[in-house]
Amino acid sequence: MNTLCRAAKAPDTPQKWFRKIALRPQIRLADILFISAMVLASLPGQRTTAFEFRGYLMALLVLIELIHQLYRTLHKNPVKKRSAGDISAVLFLGIMAWELMTSHFDLLQHLLFPVPGKVVAVFIAELPVFAHCLVSSLGLLGAGYLLALVTAIPLALVIGWRKRLFAAVNPLTKVLGPIPPIVYIPYAIVILPTFKCASIFIIFIGAFWPIFIGTLNATFNVDQRLIDSARVLNVPERTMLFEIILPGIMPAIISGATLGLVFSFILLTAAEMIGASSGLGWYVKYFSDFADYPRVVAGILFIGCVVTAITGCFECIERRLLSWKS
Amino acid sequence: MEKIRLDNISFAYAQQKVMIPVIREVTLSVKAGEFVTIIGPSGCGKSTILSLLAGLNTPSDGSIRIDGEAIRGTGSERGVVFQHYSLFPWMSARKNIIFGLRQLKKRKSHKELAEITDHYLSLVGLHDVGDKYPNQLSGGMQQRVAIARAFAMDSEILLMDEPFSAVDAKNKMGLQELLLNLWNSGAQKKTVVFITHDVDEAILLSDRIVIMSACTKGIKEIIPVHFKRPRNRATLIKTPEYAAMRHMLINSLFDDLIEEVAV
Ligand SMILES: Nc1ncnc2c1ncn2[C@@H]1O[C@H](COP(=O)(O)OP(=O)(O)OP(=O)(O)O)[C@@H](O)[C@H]1O
Ligand SMILES: [Mg+2]
Repeated sequence: MNTLCRAAKAPDTPQKWFRKIALRPQIRLADILFISAMVLASLPGQRTTAFEFRGYLMALLVLIELIHQLYRTLHKNPVKKRSAGDISAVLFLGIMAWELMTSHFDLLQHLLFPVPGKVVAVFIAELPVFAHCLVSSLGLLGAGYLLALVTAIPLALVIGWRKRLFAAVNPLTKVLGPIPPIVYIPYAIVILPTFKCASIFIIFIGAFWPIFIGTLNATFNVDQRLIDSARVLNVPERTMLFEIILPGIMPAIISGATLGLVFSFILLTAAEMIGASSGLGWYVKYFSDFADYPRVVAGILFIGCVVTAITGCFECIERRLLSWKS
Repeated sequence: MEKIRLDNISFAYAQQKVMIPVIREVTLSVKAGEFVTIIGPSGCGKSTILSLLAGLNTPSDGSIRIDGEAIRGTGSERGVVFQHYSLFPWMSARKNIIFGLRQLKKRKSHKELAEITDHYLSLVGLHDVGDKYPNQLSGGMQQRVAIARAFAMDSEILLMDEPFSAVDAKNKMGLQELLLNLWNSGAQKKTVVFITHDVDEAILLSDRIVIMSACTKGIKEIIPVHFKRPRNRATLIKTPEYAAMRHMLINSLFDDLIEEVAV
């Protein structure tokens, strides 16, 4: 006992210190990569724009490193710490590769492949426009997606619960469900009065089928013991559907809803590229037409951030709804 | 007075395209306020009979009457405790009981519901885990919550399928006492149909013990238990009458096993 205590208090021997550092190479890897990327960014390359915008690139690198270090100090879990390091390392590598290909070796076409610093500068400058586009896109997405949620789930519950209705409707869903929703776009634009209606409809269709089919099958195959437990309590049909089956199949509904969200986002941007005059998809398409590729790349990266944020919120909701499963 | 009557009932499970007969021409009558226990070899159809009584399945032949009327599906006069799994996993233990009480359509305030719930939870010894979800509870604790729910709902008839099988010995004794108290209390005695594998439990609790033969062979024997109530476990076990009855029950159960081995 005593010797143990003394050993713990003793100062690190060189071997120990070496083991401490060497056994966690990812810390050093991320940090080494950070420093290399900073040096690379500060060196003049073959493109003058890179040098001009190097401050932006360095700011981005510092931001990533700061977030990484902050995460490391806030989290205790060593596995999570390690993957935070790995993720930053991958980011630094990617940015360095981009910088090398464009500025230092000048392998890529200038017009099509902007240097990273320039994209960062554009990204910051365009934030107000992005915000405007985001509002318009989220409006469409929210309307279409929520409409799909509130129609698909109750409909699927009722149809899945009534065996005869299920047998009647299921073949139809097998035919209609797998149709790629993109093919509806031109037709929807023609038959619906405004572009807004058409996009909401398309997003609705894209989200509807995954949610509907997921909920329908889960309802049809719901655990019989759950149903029996409820039946002996004499629950009325409404309660059975919305207080027993709905929470009982929540995991399946959530996976359907996640799939629906992915689909609806794809369809949102696709629809915007075809006929909108604002929104994230429109932004990327509009500036491609003007060959303004720094804006295009910045727009694509912004869409990536938005999707990540939305999926993050979704996972939060999922964790709350399924807290009983843990 | 006759409370429950099974008249020549038969039942078969449909599996793929074949029917698997499980119950064949079983007749049984249970008096109002009577405590009847069913014991028999595993797979002989005890749980199946209970599901027919509960109204979850309908007999293919024969009829089930309660108070002289043929049953149609489940009914609030019957409370059921299943052999496995009867709690809703997304509701806490307390919510599970409140949910059951709310289905009774007796107008009760939130406060009253909470009071009844807490009362029965503490009766089964679980007052401190009311806010846990079923999968945070052990199997025996889940079973006790299900029992508390059935007791709280206070139905005229209790159908219980091996309710104490997952419960430890100490809690089991407590729950047996509790069940007898609840059965006896109130203006009217409840009618209980109770399934168990435990011969001692059967003798301690029942007015009559129904011994079943193997699958589809129906009821083998019905044995009345005349020991005076309230029965004291400690003194009862020492009497020669108890030993004789226990011996008889085990023989009767065992016969079947011997037959099975011989075949
Ligand atoms: N849902 C089902 N589908 C098909 N067969 C079933 C089903 N449930 C039970 N069986 C069969 O019916 C027979 C009786 O089952 P049951 O559950 O009533 O037995 P039990 O007497 O309750 O047994 P135990 O004491 O083990 O609980 C068994 O042979 C079983 O295989
Ligand atoms: Mg059983």
